[in-house]
Amino acid sequence: MKNLNVFGYPLFIVFMAALPLGLDARWQEVAISFLVFSVVALSQDIVLGKCGIFNMGQALFFGMGAYCTAILNNEYGWSLLSTIPVAILIPALFGILLAGPIMHLRGDYLLVTTIGFNIVFVQAVQNNLGGVTGGPNGIFGLDSLSLFGHEFTDQVAVYYFAFAVMLLTLWIMRNLEHSKAGRALHYLRLDPLAAESIGINTRLYKIFAFGLGAGIAGLAGTVFVAQFTAVSPEGFGFMQSVLFFSIVIVGGSSVPGIFLGVFVMFVLPEVFSPLATWRYFIFGFAMIAAMILRPRGIWPAKFGNIPKFLIKESNHGG
Amino acid sequence: MDTFFQQLINGLTIGSIYALVALGYTMVYGVMRLINFAHGDMVAASAFVGLTIYTQVMGQSATLFSVIMIFLLAAVSMACVGVILERVAYRPLREAPRLSAVVSALGASLVIQNGIMLLWGPQMRIFPELVPQVYWEIGGVVVSLIQVIILILSLVLMVALYFFVEKTRMGAAIRASSIDQDAARLMGINVNTIIATIFIIGSSLGAIGGLFIGLYYRGITFNMGWQYGLFAFVAAILGGIGNIPGAMLGGMLLGLFNAFIAGYVSSTWSDAFTFILLIIILIVRPTGILGERVAEKV
Repeated sequence: MKNLNVFGYPLFIVFMAALPLGLDARWQEVAISFLVFSVVALSQDIVLGKCGIFNMGQALFFGMGAYCTAILNNEYGWSLLSTIPVAILIPALFGILLAGPIMHLRGDYLLVTTIGFNIVFVQAVQNNLGGVTGGPNGIFGLDSLSLFGHEFTDQVAVYYFAFAVMLLTLWIMRNLEHSKAGRALHYLRLDPLAAESIGINTRLYKIFAFGLGAGIAGLAGTVFVAQFTAVSPEGFGFMQSVLFFSIVIVGGSSVPGIFLGVFVMFVLPEVFSPLATWRYFIFGFAMIAAMILRPRGIWPAKFGNIPKFLIKESNHGG
Repeated sequence: MDTFFQQLINGLTIGSIYALVALGYTMVYGVMRLINFAHGDMVAASAFVGLTIYTQVMGQSATLFSVIMIFLLAAVSMACVGVILERVAYRPLREAPRLSAVVSALGASLVIQNGIMLLWGPQMRIFPELVPQVYWEIGGVVVSLIQVIILILSLVLMVALYFFVEKTRMGAAIRASSIDQDAARLMGINVNTIIATIFIIGSSLGAIGGLFIGLYYRGITFNMGWQYGLFAFVAAILGGIGNIPGAMLGGMLLGLFNAFIAGYVSSTWSDAFTFILLIIILIVRPTGILGERVAEKV
């Protein structure tokens, strides 16, 4: 773990910062997707991995952020970057509002409820709710990224925007882990009852995690719009949520595990594009095999600086 | 008023299909506390297997004998798939964290769904007309022979299942395992056999549900399992998951709800309304309509 902090992360960040120099346009696009989906997967990790809320609807907040940006740009002519506060706040508020009444539900019920939210969202968008979502085709022909009137047509600019968002997310997650809230989430996930009995307001922290995850996913939505200058409902369906859910669990809810998961799920298919039709067939087997061989995930997360001899293996985690 | 009775008939038909599929979810959940995400895809696979048996084995004949054989063969093949699925994907994860088993189930679902796509292709296939198109019109309400068959056959299967679970030794063992697996094992019940039995029963009922979907809607696609599976799962939760009469009730209620929404409000919003209903019921009664109010075990 120490080696990872001292060498692993800086190396990774330097590598990612230099990456677009060595890639052609197509692979730059793949690299941007990797960053965007990593941010969504990390936001899912806050909810599912850190707090233990069985949430299978993270694509909803990703999509909500993307649609906020797209609608503000398309209808009101806001520049993409100026929509960021809205694209964070609206999904976060929705997350808090939706989480409030359902947080008391037991695990699997929560899972289905969040799937339900996602499906309601996709159907609302498809049915052109309020006449601004563009129906099944979505919204296209949006502006590209611009800052102080200067328009960036090169997608390297989008890459560094995505990279900045990813760094921000990593920084939030790092701070979360070392903060009061992060510790509360950790104990809350291990044993909600014990957490409650030592004075942790479990309900409040669960809603906090849900809102934070939703906000970050919404920000990723803005980057998604900057990349494609278009949004459509398919990108935010139940299938996407299933992928983010699986990435967090298969990865073991640790940052390296999640990057690995996103790489396998979204980058490898581009490398082996002739096998595209076999993609999910192979992933299915890989998910089963990964879970049987490593039930706690490929790269299980460790928490804090607790000495090894104090850690007792339990079945409550994960 | 005609619309009302028409949607009532349609709703009961869809509802009994949901109920058959929901039973598979609820029985597996009852004993293993696991959402078997692959169940819906097995339902879809059953329709495709039925299609292939009809064209390849039965030489495209729709006699009573061949229809019965199609139902039996599809049910048996799905029962085999169910048992293999449990053995390969779920049994090694019984002691693992809950979410690992959920991901394994999602993986199995992807394997089956995309296996169908690789074998039968991604395009929509038309299910054969196994039952003659006979309609009766009763006071402005149209009832088809298929609807009558679906209703009666589902009812018979559900009553049979109810008596099997409530009145036989095997049924008592199933109920015991769903209350407390360890205690059941101490009483000499072989829980592995019980789980295999549950997968056999659940998958065969799901297979019949899949054939009904093919017969009733005609168009079958490789990814329809998620849609019907999710709806059936919602039905199981509405009734109270793990509860067999609950799954039947939930299926019927959901079918009626869907039909009335489609008839009176709008069919493009039916998924959204279904999940809004689910969310409201879960907020009011967190364990479903017939679910027991159990305190969370510590």
